[in-house]
Amino acid sequence: MSQATPNTLLPRGVDAAGFQQALAQFRALLGDENVLVKDEQLIPYNKIMMAVDNAEHAPSAAVTATTVEQVQGVVKICNQFKIPVWTISTGRNFGYGSAAPGQRGQVILDLKKMNRILHVDPELCTALVEPGVTYQQLYDYLQEHKLPLMLSFSAPSAIAGPLGNTMDRGVGYTPYGEHFLMQCGMEVVLANGDVYRTGMGGVKGDNAWQVFKWGYGPTLDGMFTQANYGICTKMGFWLMPKPPVFKPFEIKFEQESDIAEIVEFIRPLRIAQVIPNSVVIAGVLWEASTCNTRRSDYTSEPGATSDAILKQIQKDKNLGAWNVYAALYGTQEQVEVNWKIVTGALKQLGKGRIVTQEEAGDTQPFKYRAQLMSGVPNLQEFGLYNWRGGGGSMWFAPVSQARGSECEKQQALAKKILNKHGLDYVGEFIVGWRDMHHVIDVLYDRSNPEETRRANACFAELLDVFEQQGYAVYRVNTAFQERVAQSYGPVKRKVEHAIKRALDPNNILAPGKSGIDLANPF
Amino acid sequence: MIQVERRSLLKGMALGGLAGVAMGSSGLSLANSVLGRTAPGQLPVLALVSSGAAGSAFVQGLEASPAAAQVQVLPANLELQALLQLQQRLASGRPQRLIGLLDDASATLLVDLARSAGARVQWLGQHSAHARRSEHRLLSAGSAHGCALQLGQQLHRCGQGFSLHEQRLHSPAPTLQTSTASRTTGDDQWAASLGYALAVLGSTDTGQAPRVARRAQAPTGTYVSFSIEV
Repeated sequence: MSQATPNTLLPRGVDAAGFQQALAQFRALLGDENVLVKDEQLIPYNKIMMAVDNAEHAPSAAVTATTVEQVQGVVKICNQFKIPVWTISTGRNFGYGSAAPGQRGQVILDLKKMNRILHVDPELCTALVEPGVTYQQLYDYLQEHKLPLMLSFSAPSAIAGPLGNTMDRGVGYTPYGEHFLMQCGMEVVLANGDVYRTGMGGVKGDNAWQVFKWGYGPTLDGMFTQANYGICTKMGFWLMPKPPVFKPFEIKFEQESDIAEIVEFIRPLRIAQVIPNSVVIAGVLWEASTCNTRRSDYTSEPGATSDAILKQIQKDKNLGAWNVYAALYGTQEQVEVNWKIVTGALKQLGKGRIVTQEEAGDTQPFKYRAQLMSGVPNLQEFGLYNWRGGGGSMWFAPVSQARGSECEKQQALAKKILNKHGLDYVGEFIVGWRDMHHVIDVLYDRSNPEETRRANACFAELLDVFEQQGYAVYRVNTAFQERVAQSYGPVKRKVEHAIKRALDPNNILAPGKSGIDLANPF
Repeated sequence: MIQVERRSLLKGMALGGLAGVAMGSSGLSLANSVLGRTAPGQLPVLALVSSGAAGSAFVQGLEASPAAAQVQVLPANLELQALLQLQQRLASGRPQRLIGLLDDASATLLVDLARSAGARVQWLGQHSAHARRSEHRLLSAGSAHGCALQLGQQLHRCGQGFSLHEQRLHSPAPTLQTSTASRTTGDDQWAASLGYALAVLGSTDTGQAPRVARRAQAPTGTYVSFSIEV
């Protein structure tokens, strides 16, 4: 049975008496077992990977809800006592803030117990799920019911969930890899307790909620992503029909300087949908880490890993300096035609060594990449955390045009800054239709205070220098969300804060998310 | 992730090449019992340990503790199926304690599974071992009171250079911060001391871990330790 909180940490602007009253009301609403205030219950919510002190992201309490009505009740209590609440779904946003609140003292609303798969339509190829549903759960459901549908997910696949990933505008590796593009219909609990359904969801008797996105009038779905205007309690999305033929392949390129040519080679194939999936162009250290290579296997010297060692790793692990992963999907005839186009284009390029599934067999990292491109969950990419070790990871994810010169410029810039701070470039490009998500894992040792400070300074410099060049990230960890909001300019921020004032005047929903906080002067 | 391949403690130790225990672990365990040191609560304990020298030393520490009889040791690796088994175990509702010393990737997954299962985490440690010293940053609950201090004392006694920083969840300031310069060459004694300290976490035991044999070259690396109660 939970007891009155023994801790002294309070949410911002809340006094001890008010907090105790709020906790009592949470208990009455949710039951004692769903109101967590003991330190040993809250520590697992505080395992962060960012280069700041744990204390900056310590929660004052965590509550778990199981129904929409309970979420409405939580919001009501938060309004009454002005309690800031940080909502998580599965909480597996590793390297972007994990399950910890954005600001010290916020109460976590954990929706892990709202984990029902509400509907999967095998003919229309749609799904409707609650926040706590994981990709593994959905994968098992499809397997169990023998449904010929394919999932798209980010690399932590098995344990992350579609709702949270989509709400944070995450991406995957299949033709449905731009997840928000495939979203169709949301249910959102607003700060005043109203339950709002986007698209066709507000129409009485409607059955088109998961098939037609736009509904009537303004379409607001995007406004709730990476935002703090409501709590998403249901989300619909589209699933790809499983193709009769799936042909994954890899192309290895020997030189780091090949990146510009690779991008110029891939872009037309991707835009024309010859290669329909979110292609990955992964650097050597990314791929080495995911097949169990540790930095300590090669050197005990502090600082950035030398290019000579990178070359040695490339040779030892039979990797390219860049490793392109793509796949073809469709009937045998479609795949054969597209394969001819791809191999023809590669021949014209005159470099790059192609590896098919038949040649790769069960070797890593090909195997897990093929699984990701065909919707089979795995955890192989967690190997990144063992490259340098020490539990530090922050994703630096600038957006780039899918243009060779731009990608080359970004890669060189990032590597120079990372190396200057004694850290490694561990990066990949995920090819959208016309853009690149340039994703770099800033890995460092959190047990070393000096290296942690260095990583923090490095991340700040990456943001600054990229901004000077006209680049910005599409997503960031919670320690840097205010900084990144600044990159997008004051007008956007004023609009966002005006919406916040209108929808959440008590500033209870995740203040600080994406830099939106009524404590800011906008 | 966690490869739940059952092995007995002794077999695991033999495979880990632990012949160089300075004082027989079981003998020390017996000595600790004779001295009236009590085992912590009677919960079954599952110890998850990554392969390698530090993991082997950690197991020696466990075996020397009064809690040794309750401990089952499992080697751990990144494997999805094993992770799912562990998830089932955490969700089974069976009271138990999980302790261990894992690589960063496995620990990241394990701690988050524990959170989802509603488990209580009394201790989370981030450790790095270098040629002549080790560093320890700990996040601990009130129920782990004294464990970090005990670890610090043991580390001090064995003469290795170390720094130890313990923090409580709601306290921005460290509750314990200590360091010493190395008086001897580094080894993996810290892992044995840690294994012992976690095995007796929550008890009043003040026994000590066995001395592990020195190696020509001290193992280096980073690890995560934990104590989780379901």
